[in-house]
This record gives sequence, C-alpha cells and structure tokens, in this order.
Amino acid sequence: MKFLITKELEYSRLLKHLMAAVLFFILLYLGFDVALHAYVIGAEIQEIALTLFGDRENFVEPMLLDALLLQVHTDLFMTLFALLILTAITIRVHDSKALTMWAVHLVFIVGILAPAILLLAYLLEVSWLVPVWLFTFALWHFVAFILGVSAFKRVLFL
Amino acid sequence: MKNSALYAISVGYILLYTVLILASGVWLFLLSQGLGSASGLLDTLKDIIALPEEKSLRGLIEVATPHLFAMGALIFVVAHFMLFSTTVSKKHALFVALIVFGLALFDIFSYFAISFGWVVSGWLKLTALFAFVSSFMVLLTLVAFSL
Repeated sequence: MKFLITKELEYSRLLKHLMAAVLFFILLYLGFDVALHAYVIGAEIQEIALTLFGDRENFVEPMLLDALLLQVHTDLFMTLFALLILTAITIRVHDSKALTMWAVHLVFIVGILAPAILLLAYLLEVSWLVPVWLFTFALWHFVAFILGVSAFKRVLFL
Repeated sequence: MKNSALYAISVGYILLYTVLILASGVWLFLLSQGLGSASGLLDTLKDIIALPEEKSLRGLIEVATPHLFAMGALIFVVAHFMLFSTTVSKKHALFVALIVFGLALFDIFSYFAISFGWVVSGWLKLTALFAFVSSFMVLLTLVAFSL
C-alpha cells in the first residue's frame, strides 16, 4: 500500500501503468473467482443447497467441513489482498471522499459477510441463508468490479 | 500523507480479515487432528499432545508451501503499516515483526519434527501455533493502536 500512495502520479508514468495493470488483473480475478465458486459450490440456489446439505433421499453426501473451511480460509486471504490493493488505488485516484469512504466500507463488509454466511449456512443447515450468501457473494464482487473499472478509467485518463 | 483517514478504514478491515484468517487456520488444524469427529476441543488438544496424527512428507509440503508464501506476505503487509505509525517506534515495530516472522517459520516447520520422529508428542506444534498466533495478535494490536 505504501508503494501506491507515496509518489505523485503526474510525475510517474511507470507507477500509473503498473496500477492500471494490477487493476486489470484484479478485474480478471473477480470474474474467475465467480466461475471458481460456481464450479466448487454451485451457481444456482438448489445446486448450492445440494453441495452444502447433501440429499439423504438420493444418498448425496454434503461437502466436508474441512473442504468448506479450507475454501473460506483461502477466500478470506485472497479477498484481503484483492481489496487491499483495490481500495488503496481507489482512495488514491478518486476525488469524492464521502462516496469513496462508503464504497470502501461496503466492499470490505460484504466481502467478509459472504464467507461467514456460507459457513453459518453449512453449520446450522439453514437453507434460507443460501440465497443470502449468493446475494452477498455477488454484491461484493459487483461492488469490487465497479470500483476496479472506475479506478482503471481514472488511472488511464489521469 | 493525503487521505490518511480513508486508508485507516482499509487497514482496520485488514486487521479484522487477518484475525478471521488466523481463526479459520487454527480451526482447520484442529479439524485435521480429529476435532468434530468424536471429540471436543479439550480432548482433541490432549490427543494432539499424546498422539498427533501421522502426516506424510507430501502432506506436510502441501501445507507448508502455500503457507510459506501466504504467511510471509501477510506478516509483511500488516507489519508495513507500522511505517505510518507515530505512536510506536520503528525499532519496536521491527522487533515485533521479526519475532512474528520467526514464529511463523517455527509454526510451519514444527510438524516436520513430529513426522520425522524427532519429537513424539504434539506439544511442539501446539506451542508453535499458540506462540505464532499470540505474537501476530500483538502485531495486530500495535497496528490497531497506530491507526
């Protein structure tokens, strides 16, 4: 983060292009992360419920807690780094401080709620938490994507 | 530094994420030692001390490899926030960060000693895990007080 906030962008074409490149990679990461979770956990509510809770009538076993917790553990780490870089650049390039502040709060809170809700849904076997997880997961990716595109445009045309 | 209040928001959330990563990591380790299958937390801890689960060299390397990168990077990111601190001296920050780095290595490699038969009991891994998590919490507290 310190590298991103110390130099003036107007005087550093290198830093400007590096920031644009890392934002491009983060935007790609966000898209692929959605695809990965669609494969591992499911893309539709019924599919996700089947992965988390199984189906006793059809002898489908639920996902193992070890596997889900490993996914959550990894997700938290990846989300931390993606959002750290994304928000550092967003704060750097945007002028509207109030809007940026709320966007940063929103993306970090929803980013942490998504894995927590997934784990809660699994542990408590509560099916109504599945659409809640799907919503929070989609929301943090959407907000992060908007922040990324917005910062990318600002970095390129600054 | 411009917008320091906004950066403090990001740093605050990073600390929260880090605590959850540490908690889920400890939980994962305890699950791999039998927590949840039949025994509670205390029984699992006793089992680890008496007879830790056997792990192959491949299994150890599979766990150690991502953690060497991830723990090193995470400690670096959290510790580098101390560069902005005006309340904690750089000397103290460096001391704590180096201890966390050292204990992270101790934690990652402690199970190798158990698997190679150098230590029979699992107390070494538990001590390493406890020391690493505690020292990381100290570092997180220092960063939190520096915000």
